[in-house]
Amino acid sequence: MEYYAQLLLNGIIAGSIYALFAVGLTMVYGVFRFINFAHGELIAWGAYIAFFFTRSPFSLPIYLAALPALAIAAVIGLAQDRFVYRKLRHGNRITLLIASIGLSYFLRNGIRLIWGSDLQTYGLAPVRGFFFAGLSITPTQIAMTAAAIFFLGILYFILTRTLLGKCLRAVADNMTLAQVMGISIEKVSVTVWLLAAVFSAVGGILLAVDTNLEPLMGLTNLVKAFAAVLLGGAGNVWGALLGGLFIGIAENIGVAFISPGYKDFISFALIVLMLLFRPRGIFGIIGGFR
Amino acid sequence: MKKIISTIIVIVLILSAGGVISAADEVTVGAVTPLTGKLAVYGEGFQKAMLLALDEVNAAGGINGKPMKIAFEDNNSTSKGSVSAIQKLITIDKFPVIFGPAASSNFLAVCPIAQQNKTILIAAESAAASISQCGSYVFRVFPSDLLQGKGVAELTQYLKYNEVVLTYINNDWGVGLADVFKDSFLKSGGKLIDEFAYDEGKTDYRSEILRIKKGSPRAVVNLTYVKEGAIMLKQAYEMKLEVQWLMGSAAKSPKMVELAGVAAEGVIGTYPTFSQDTAPYMAFKNGWDKKYPDQKTPIFGEYNYDMVKLTAEALKQTASMSADDIRSSLIKASKGFAGATGGKSFDENGDVGATYGRWTIKAGEITDYK
Repeated sequence: MEYYAQLLLNGIIAGSIYALFAVGLTMVYGVFRFINFAHGELIAWGAYIAFFFTRSPFSLPIYLAALPALAIAAVIGLAQDRFVYRKLRHGNRITLLIASIGLSYFLRNGIRLIWGSDLQTYGLAPVRGFFFAGLSITPTQIAMTAAAIFFLGILYFILTRTLLGKCLRAVADNMTLAQVMGISIEKVSVTVWLLAAVFSAVGGILLAVDTNLEPLMGLTNLVKAFAAVLLGGAGNVWGALLGGLFIGIAENIGVAFISPGYKDFISFALIVLMLLFRPRGIFGIIGGFR
Repeated sequence: MKKIISTIIVIVLILSAGGVISAADEVTVGAVTPLTGKLAVYGEGFQKAMLLALDEVNAAGGINGKPMKIAFEDNNSTSKGSVSAIQKLITIDKFPVIFGPAASSNFLAVCPIAQQNKTILIAAESAAASISQCGSYVFRVFPSDLLQGKGVAELTQYLKYNEVVLTYINNDWGVGLADVFKDSFLKSGGKLIDEFAYDEGKTDYRSEILRIKKGSPRAVVNLTYVKEGAIMLKQAYEMKLEVQWLMGSAAKSPKMVELAGVAAEGVIGTYPTFSQDTAPYMAFKNGWDKKYPDQKTPIFGEYNYDMVKLTAEALKQTASMSADDIRSSLIKASKGFAGATGGKSFDENGDVGATYGRWTIKAGEITDYK
């Protein structure tokens, strides 16, 4: 019984990180109507910039190094929009998709150019986990879940209690109509990219603290984020959150029943089943985001 | 008029391109190397070791006066990439010798192509036992896992762990090595409490570790790579899984110790030994330190170095550039060859022998286990 409870706990923790990634991806989709394949690189760059600041000459501890990392990741997110996507915004969605794939190659290999293909680590010593009620949890895992709750809480606040959030939702619903109503697309775009970048970077840093850094880390997590987005319905923020949690839990509990070698199979099978039977996702709505 | 001029230009360009490829004053061999993708971690090191050997070969006069060159072709660490890379090297560049890709799965994907096209294919770090059956044109300077699997089983019995959990990476190498281990271990009276494969390239192995914990073993045989091994060790430490970890040679790397930190203490494993006191090894080490100061020698770097040097010897002595002649020359050259990793005589399958030593991690360093 404890075994399954532990798997569930691990699943929730892993899922909360996937949720962070998925939420940014789905917001970009909701407003701009394309899946940003370069989203994964925001995750990787966030982690690597923090890595850069933990080395000399800065030698900051990781929680301080995270701050410039978030700032620079935000800049990269905004630059993505400004230099690549903005010009293509009113064109074909396939063009945006392909542009994002190209951008992801560029950013991913930029990391490889600067830091090499080898694995890197923040160099934090492994810590024993705490045990309570027979379940084990480490300080890092607690931080991961706390950060996820914190940031998602802020997102909830922004989306439901502020004017900016309402504008975001309006633009996601219908960009042209929102513009007619006087809502500034620029302000909304900036906000969306900021949120997407910060969330991804935070998730990336936490992931790197838990495991390690490598140039492909963005790509591998993008797939999970994408699965979560599809599960919850593209454009639906809370759907993405639940989708992320669901995938995290499904992957971990699945290990108890099938060989761990097939763990990936679970995420992909879910995507296929979703697309076959309910393409809109569990909470999907046509257009907009809630 | 314009058409005629442009046709002439195109023809000139094609001829000159052909000229560059078939330059008769240098000897080029191909190499399929993981320079990008999940094995790029290893690939960069291999390339550096090969270039070091290349420099030394050329400094000593090259292949009978002609400089030797290596044309690297990236395979993106995938089998598909390896196949495209080798097709290009064989059909377009027509190299007589190709250094094969890392990871047994990738190597196994290309060896039938090399065999069919009568191209010599050499591996420096592919361990899967099935490679011995690849064909007469396929060689490797790295010992087959057939021996390592037995080595790990013997180590397990030697340490008196009769019941263990077996876990391994889910690819040709892992599955192959696990099979050989299982064979030897069960025959010698051992019992497997649990056995399962796991995916490479994951960041979270907690569920796998939980499953190991469920069996309450005293020892776990984990046939793994550097990255996956490090993550599992770290997460096992956090989850307070206290077992004796037994590994193979693919995890024997300072990088794994760096990534896992204190969680890597006490791991014991096997590896094909070669003495580090020999003159060839010292030559390799000194050459490396001179060319790449302040960089640790990469895992399998010595094998890549030997592979290039041995090939250069064979090319110097070969009667012609035909595959059969190079093949006999390679076999002959290997008989007396003393490389950084020891003697490299090829047997009838193109394999080399090995003795297996034991390594352990103590105080953050990899040392021999006595």
